[in-house]
Amino acid sequence: MAGSSEKKEHYTSMCRMCDNRCGINVYVENGCIVEITGLKEHKWNHGRLCVKGRLGVDLVNAPDRILKPLKRVGSEWEEIDLDQAYDEIAERIKKVQATWGNRAMGVWKGEALGFLTQEQLSRRFIHAIGSPNYFSNDSQCFVSRWIGYALVTGDWATQDFINSDCAVIWGSNPPYSQPNLTQSILKGRKKGGKLIVIDVRLSAIARQADEFIQILPGTDGALALGFARQLIEDDTICHTFIEKYTLGYETYARYVKEFTPERVEKETGIPAAKVVQLARLIGACRPRVCIYAGNGLEHHENGINNIRAIACLDGLLGNLDEVGGNFTAEKPNLRNISLYEEKPLRHLGPIGADKFPVLYDFRQECHTMSVMDTILNETPYPLKGMILGGANPALTNPNTRKVIKALKSLDLFVVREIFMTETAELADYVLPGATYLEQSELHVHPIHQIIGLSPEIVTFPDCDNEYIFWKKLASRLGVEDYFPWENKDALNKWLLKDTEITVEKLFNHPEGYEYKPRRFHKYREKELPTPSGKFEFVSSYLKKYGYPYLPEYIPPTYMNEPDPDYPYILVTGARKVFYTHGRNRNFKRCRTAIPGPDIEIHPIDAEKLEVKTGDVVTVTSTVGSMDIPVKVVHSSNILPGVTQITHGWKESNVNLITHDDRNDPISGFPLMKSVEVKIERKAVNVNN
Amino acid sequence: MQVVIIGNSAAGLSGLEAFRKKDQSSSVTIVTREGEVPYSKVLLPYYLLGKIPYANLFTRDKNYYARLNAKCITGNVVKLLPEQQAVLLESGTLLPYDKLLIATGSSPVKPPIPGLSGKGIYHLWTLADVENLAPYYNKGKRVVVLGSGFVSLQGAWAALSRGLDVSVIELMDRIMPRVLDDHAAALLATRMIKSGVDLRINTFTREIERTGDEKLVLHFKNGKSLTSDFIIVGTGVRPNIEFTAGTGLKIDAGIVVNKQMETTLPGVYAAGDVAQVPSASGGDPVVHALWPTAIETGSIAGTAMASGNSRYRGSLNMNVTQMFDITVASMGEFMDIEGSESWTDENLPEDQYLKIVLKDGVPIGAICAGGSELISTLGMLRPLIREKVQLQGNPGMLKALLASNIAQHQQTFIKQ
Amino acid sequence: MRFITMDVTKCVVCRNCEYACSFQQTGDFRREDSNIRVEYYDDVKICLPLTCMHCDDSWCLEICPASAITRNVKTGAIEINSERCAGCKMCILACPFGNIHFDKINMVSRKCNLCEGEPNCVSFCISGALQYTESKNSYQNNRQIFQRFIENL
Repeated sequence: MAGSSEKKEHYTSMCRMCDNRCGINVYVENGCIVEITGLKEHKWNHGRLCVKGRLGVDLVNAPDRILKPLKRVGSEWEEIDLDQAYDEIAERIKKVQATWGNRAMGVWKGEALGFLTQEQLSRRFIHAIGSPNYFSNDSQCFVSRWIGYALVTGDWATQDFINSDCAVIWGSNPPYSQPNLTQSILKGRKKGGKLIVIDVRLSAIARQADEFIQILPGTDGALALGFARQLIEDDTICHTFIEKYTLGYETYARYVKEFTPERVEKETGIPAAKVVQLARLIGACRPRVCIYAGNGLEHHENGINNIRAIACLDGLLGNLDEVGGNFTAEKPNLRNISLYEEKPLRHLGPIGADKFPVLYDFRQECHTMSVMDTILNETPYPLKGMILGGANPALTNPNTRKVIKALKSLDLFVVREIFMTETAELADYVLPGATYLEQSELHVHPIHQIIGLSPEIVTFPDCDNEYIFWKKLASRLGVEDYFPWENKDALNKWLLKDTEITVEKLFNHPEGYEYKPRRFHKYREKELPTPSGKFEFVSSYLKKYGYPYLPEYIPPTYMNEPDPDYPYILVTGARKVFYTHGRNRNFKRCRTAIPGPDIEIHPIDAEKLEVKTGDVVTVTSTVGSMDIPVKVVHSSNILPGVTQITHGWKESNVNLITHDDRNDPISGFPLMKSVEVKIERKAVNVNN
Repeated sequence: MQVVIIGNSAAGLSGLEAFRKKDQSSSVTIVTREGEVPYSKVLLPYYLLGKIPYANLFTRDKNYYARLNAKCITGNVVKLLPEQQAVLLESGTLLPYDKLLIATGSSPVKPPIPGLSGKGIYHLWTLADVENLAPYYNKGKRVVVLGSGFVSLQGAWAALSRGLDVSVIELMDRIMPRVLDDHAAALLATRMIKSGVDLRINTFTREIERTGDEKLVLHFKNGKSLTSDFIIVGTGVRPNIEFTAGTGLKIDAGIVVNKQMETTLPGVYAAGDVAQVPSASGGDPVVHALWPTAIETGSIAGTAMASGNSRYRGSLNMNVTQMFDITVASMGEFMDIEGSESWTDENLPEDQYLKIVLKDGVPIGAICAGGSELISTLGMLRPLIREKVQLQGNPGMLKALLASNIAQHQQTFIKQ
Repeated sequence: MRFITMDVTKCVVCRNCEYACSFQQTGDFRREDSNIRVEYYDDVKICLPLTCMHCDDSWCLEICPASAITRNVKTGAIEINSERCAGCKMCILACPFGNIHFDKINMVSRKCNLCEGEPNCVSFCISGALQYTESKNSYQNNRQIFQRFIENL
C-alpha cells in the first residue's frame, strides 16, 4: 500500500469491491495493476479506503482467475476458442428457444462483474431475445428495503448523517458492509449527534453507539410501531408534514395505539422503559434524524411490513428530505437502455410475478427462489437456459441443495465469472469475465448528487467486458440492432446524451461531478412518487392485492408457533470485514486474517451445549443440516438462544439449511434471519 | 574549561553527549582502555548468537569524537589526584581536569574456586572476552556456565542456539535470583530444560581440573563432575574504583553521588555501574549495573558538568531479555514486600505470567514471563511507577487502564 | 511535524488499520505484524487504537544499545533499523505507550515509521478515528482525545 511512484501510470476510478464505490487511485506498471489507494479528492470517501478496496489488486491479478473460455466435456473442462464459445452458446440458445419457446431463457445478473449498466444490459438482452426472465440477487437482498420505503415515500432516501442530530442504524453494520458510511455517521456523532444502533448482534458500529438496542430477530416492526405510538403520545411529531403531505395518518395512529411499551417489550425483548426513552431521544432530535434500514430487516416473513413501519417514522418525524435527515436525492437524467417500455413482456409471465406481483411491479425482478421450482417442475412453464454473470447462487441463495439440483438440470447453463465458483462448476460453459478495472461504468453517489466514470484500465484477451459480451451474443442471435454502440465508451456517451454531462467532464472531475446541487423539501413543490402523491401511512395499492393496508406487525413464526425440536434462532449473513457476499474467500491473505466460518454462540448456550470455541456442531433446520466450528462470543455480542452464521463459506455453507419457500408474502424475500434450528455437539473436533 | 571523562561506554558517552548539548566550547578528553571506537556491551551475547555481525557491535562511527569536538585517548587511569585536579595514566601522562566524570563501569568477580583461571575460562563482559569466546562457539563444543545471572544465561542461550552442549551451574536453589521472582524463574528454567540445557541448581563447584587434552573438569561438592571445553564465569560484577583509593572519595557499594551525580570531591562526577545513585523507589541508594541507569546517570552528570539543571529521579531497576523462546522482564520492586499487594493477570495461559506489585494502590514494580507483548505492559507501567500514580479503574482491562493513566499524565511521562 | 492521532470515540475496531499496516510490512493480513494495535474491551465497549506518537524526547531512541533507533529527518518519524536491531527488547520496555512490538520471526523490534509520510493505517481507517495532522506535538492532540475515553472508564 505504498505511495505512488514516478514510474507508474496513474488512473482515478471507483472501487467495486463492494457497492460503496469509493474513489480510488489505480497504479499500473508494465501493463499490470500494482497498487490501489484511496482518492483524496473524492467527495465520497476523502481518500479513505478499506482493506477490501486494496484487494482489487489481488482480484485482477489473481493466479486462479479464469482467463480462457471453458466448455464442459463430461466431467472435465476443455479450453475453447472465444469465438467458438460464443457460436456454440448462441446455437444452444436458439435450440432452447426453438424447443421450449423464448421465455425458456433467463439471465441472472450478479455483482462481481459490473453494476448499474451491467444490470441494464442484461435486462435489455433478455427482452431483446423475447423473454421477460431477468433475475438477480436483488430478489433476496436490498430490494425489499427499497420496496418497503417506496410503498411509503415513493423512493428510498439516502441519509445525511453528517448533519444529523440522531442517526439510527437499524439492522446494518456499515463498517463491514458499507465501510465508507462509517466516517459520515461518526462525523455526525462527533458534532454532537446521537448514535442509536438497533441490531441482533453487537456489530462494529454498535461499539460507538450511544444506545445499542439488542432486539430479537424479526421483531423490528413492533419496535417501530412502539416508537410511533410514543412519538404521537408525546406529541413530538411534525403536524405540518402530517397534515399537508401524508395519507392515512388517523388510521395509522389508531393502529399503533396497540403498541404500548409493554407490548413492545413482550415482542422485541427490549425493556419498556428503554422503548420510551429511545422514542423521546429520537423525537427530541426531529427533524434531523437519519434512519438507515439495513439488510438485517429483510430476511423475515414480515420483512416488508416491518420496513414499512420503520419508513412510516419519517412521516411522524418530518425528517424526509430534510437537512440531517433522510434525503431524497435527485437522480441524473441518464437514458434507460432496458426495454420495458419499448418491449414489455409481462404478458409472458415473468417467473415469480404471479406469486409476488409487487416485486415485479416495483423492480421488474423475477423471483430467484421460484425459478428453482420452475426449472425442476417445468411449472408454470419450462425454463431451460440461463446466462449468469458474477453471481454465486449455489452459495448465496437459500436451500442450496435445491439450487444445485435445479441449475444442474438446465439444458444450457452459461456462467461468466472471474473465478471457478461453486455455481460456475455447475455450468456447461464458463466464460472469463472482466472485473471493474477492465471496463468503464457510470457511478452515482446520491448523497452528494455526484456522478463519476470508472475507466477501462487494463484488459485481458479473452475477458470481454459486459457490453461486448451481450453485443457479441446478440449479433449471433439476430438481435444486433439492440446493441448498436460500437463499444462501452459509445454506450456511455449515449447514456449521457440527455444531460449536459459529458465523458470529458467526468474525466476532468475525478472527485465526482455534481450533476445537480442538492435541494431539500422537494415534496413541497412536487408530489411524492406514490399512487396518492402523498406519504402513505396506508397503502391502497397493497390492499388491492390483498396485502395489509397498514404496516401490520406479525410476530415471527419462532415466537408465534415455537417448535421445541428447533429451539435456537439462527441469523445468517452478518458481514465480515474482508468478504463481500460470497466473494474474496479465495484470497490467501484474507484467509490469514479470517480463516474460516463459525457459528456465533452466546456463552450460556455454549455451556448448555457443552461446547467451546473450535468445537464442531451440527446445525439442523427443517431444510437440512450442516457442520460448523463454534465461536463462543462475549455475552454482550448476541442474545442467548440466538446464533449467527455468515454466509459465503463453501466449507460450511449455511444456505444448506435456510428456507427458500418461507417468504415474505409481499416481496417474496426468503426467511434467512430467523431460522429455527437445533444445534448438536459433534463428537469430533475440527482439528482432528 | 577542561573536562575529562573516564570510560567510553553507556555512561561516558551519554555524559559526553549531554555535556555537548549545553557546552560546545570546553575541551573534552575521553580516556578509554578498551579502544577508541565505542562498542555496546548489551550486544555482546547477540554477536555470539550470530544475530548481529561483529561490525554492528560498534555503535558509534570513527568520526564520532571529532563531530562532538572531543579527544579520545587510549590509556589506563591508575590514580586520581584530587589536589592537583588531575588523573594519572599508566603511561605516566598526567591529565588535568576542571570537571571529571568517572564512568569506568564494573568488572566481573571470580569466585575463589581453585583452578578457575587460564585458557578456556572467560567472563562475558567485554569485547576482549567475546573475542576469546568466539572461537569456542562452534557446534559440538561443551560449555559450562557458572552462575545464572542475566548475562550468563544470555551466553548460555547463544551457545545452545549455536549447537553447543550447555550446562548451567547455580549455587542457589533457583536461577536469576536478582532479576526474577520464583514463578518467573521457574517458567524460564522449564523452558531452558526443554530447550536442552543441563541446568544444575544447588550446585557448589569445588575445583576445576585441567586434563591433558585441554579439557576442563569441574568437580562439585555433591561428588559429581563435569567435563567441558570452556567455562563462562558470570557470578556478579563490582565497580572499577581501584584508582580512587586513598583520595578520600566517599565510597559505599559504589561511588557515593548526589542527585546531580556529584561525588564528594569537588568537580568530580560519577555515573553508570561505578556510582551508587538514588533509587526510584525513594529507598536506600543503589548500584544498578544496568544499561538504562548508565544512560540516565551519564546524561545527568554531563548536564550537571555543563552547569545545566538536572536532578536524577532515581534509578529504576529494569531488565528484559528473550532467551530459550521465552521473554522475561522485571522492573522496580517486583518481589512482594511488607505492606505490598500484588495483582496477577489470571486471564493468561499457564505458561505466561504477569504480576504487578502495588503499595497503597501505587504500582512499585512488575514482572513478566512469556510472550513479548507482556513487556509492553511493563513499559506502560514504568511511568506510573516513577510518578507514583495510583492505578484507578477496572484491572480486568489493564492496557486501557494503563493507557488512560498515561494519557492523564503523559506530558510528564514521556521521558524516564 | 505531522502526527497520527487516535480518536477513541470514533474507532469501531474494524481492524482495517491493523491489516493495512500488516500488509505494508509483510504483504499479509496478520494482526501481529501490525505496528498499530487496536484493543477492544467487550465489558465496557471501549475501543482503543494505539500507535507510536514519535515523542520529542524519545526514550526508546536514547536507550537503544544498538543505536538502531533514529529519527527520520524528512518525516520526523522515530524508526528502527532492523539491520542493526539485535532484538534486546529494551525499547519495548522503554515505550510508555506500549507501541513497540517484537517480530518473532526476524527477532527484531518493530514500530510505526509513518510510511514515509503517508501512513497506511490512516488511509485505510474507514471511521476517521485515525488522522494524520500537523501539530506541535502528538501528545497534545491525543491528550484531548483520550480525555473523553478516561471519563468512560
